[in-house]
Amino acid sequence: MINYIKSENYRLLRKKGLYITSLASLVLITAAAYVLHFLGENEANFPYATSIFFYSNVIAGSLLIIIVAFVFNQALTGRDTSIIKQSVSFGVSRNTIFWSKLLLTLGYFLFLCAIGLVLMIVLGENLLFSEGESIGNFLLASLNMLPLILAAFSMIHMLKMLEVGDLYTLILLLFVFMFSGDFLRLLFRPVAGLQEVYKYAPSSLLNENLMDFMDYKASLDYRYWIVGIVILLVSLTIGARRFAKQNID
Amino acid sequence: MNSVIQTYRLTKMFKQDEVIKPLDFTLEKGEICALIGKNGAGKSTFFKMLAGQLIPTSGDIQLCGKSGKEKEQAKKRMGFMIETPAFFPDFTALQNLEYFRIQRGVAEKERIYEVLQIVGLANQKKKRFKDYSMGMKQRLGIALCLLGSPDCLILDEPINGLDAEGIMEIRNLLLKLNQEKQITILVSSHILTELQLLARRFVFIKNGVIAEDLSREALDEKSRKQIRMKVDNPTKAAQLLERTYPDVQFKVLQDHVISLRNHVEKGAEINRLFIDNGVSVMEFRMEALNLEEYFLGLVEGNAND
Repeated sequence: MINYIKSENYRLLRKKGLYITSLASLVLITAAAYVLHFLGENEANFPYATSIFFYSNVIAGSLLIIIVAFVFNQALTGRDTSIIKQSVSFGVSRNTIFWSKLLLTLGYFLFLCAIGLVLMIVLGENLLFSEGESIGNFLLASLNMLPLILAAFSMIHMLKMLEVGDLYTLILLLFVFMFSGDFLRLLFRPVAGLQEVYKYAPSSLLNENLMDFMDYKASLDYRYWIVGIVILLVSLTIGARRFAKQNID
Repeated sequence: MNSVIQTYRLTKMFKQDEVIKPLDFTLEKGEICALIGKNGAGKSTFFKMLAGQLIPTSGDIQLCGKSGKEKEQAKKRMGFMIETPAFFPDFTALQNLEYFRIQRGVAEKERIYEVLQIVGLANQKKKRFKDYSMGMKQRLGIALCLLGSPDCLILDEPINGLDAEGIMEIRNLLLKLNQEKQITILVSSHILTELQLLARRFVFIKNGVIAEDLSREALDEKSRKQIRMKVDNPTKAAQLLERTYPDVQFKVLQDHVISLRNHVEKGAEINRLFIDNGVSVMEFRMEALNLEEYFLGLVEGNAND
């Protein structure tokens, strides 16, 4: 497994996609901060040149982060899946391939997220009007988002390794992270004991996280972690099992 | 244990289509075996199952006597090239081989330069894979197979896209590897005359089953000379042959042609027999089958007739 991880790392470091996606994300964050700063300086009564508004773009933009995760995964493994057959021929097990690719792409993605987070805080606290609690509030809300982002990443990885089309992957992600709450609310409305289930849907949790953040009430909540870990485990278990039996042609 | 590859009742189904029917196959150490079959016969499916790319529907595969998870270890001593070799298109040959060198745990980096030299790509090592010609891609695929100093090579269409010189070079390389390093080779190609120059065993696969498994000697015997005679009355000629030579093997073909597979040394005698009995012989030809003709005969179902 170590050799496979090393070889994949050799490959990833030479992929333009890694640098382009990372750079594009960080440039967008910086540009957003400077636009808010510029408008705050030049527009009278411009209300959005605050760090809380700046940070809220992340907390409200979970779907955008998931799409970045999708693009990141696509850039790192998308076009190269045909090479897997060569690795299998040389005795690398499907399990090794599945987990190694996940570990590496997730590692780089989390590294990019951490840099993005630090960059946001540096820009938010230095360029924009900031209230004292905003950093703590932002970090707590980000921590709540983290398990759901990890769950999304594991879903993307699973679907990519099982060669599911990109369009289906995007539709599934949209459903789970944007419409699942509404769907569950409608589905279980007639069932007395299950009417509250929708509150545990990823989309409902992300909305609630945003509301708490905007009200300066963000706090660590176990529900995000339970839901995130359940989705992650289900995705990876299905992915690893099916990939182990999948024809690679 | 001298068997490098052994399959037991191996099958593969795609939905309801049984592409490989229960197939038993053994490849002994040091052999050069050609797998021959027309498109869709099941050759590539068989190769892909050996490589682990396709999961067999049933049956078992042993590589160097190992099955199950131990088989993966045995594969590290094998080189597979199935259909078109897959590489990263934006990487150079050097980068592609470096990626696989790390992955396969080959300690010496110099091995990359050695294999590129062997396949004649040493001067093209910094060219990107996507800029390679078909023949160069095939050579790089063979270089990759050789990277791990394998004991066995499984090559599906290795000379695809090569020019005549390239084909000769690859053939000589494979023969040299077999003779000097006792590397076992299982190879397929649509260029059957090339296989005839390379292999010492010929396995014909038809509709997912092994139709024939012949040594070079047995193939030579089977595709030995035959007599083709064009006569005015093939029915009478056939009766004469059956009466005079009870063990005769012949076939009546189109245009009054009789093809005789044995008693070929008695050509003059048979000619006289026909003439004496009023059968006119308009044409008399002695010919031998090459592998291609033998194969065509086999797939059309009349090689043994």
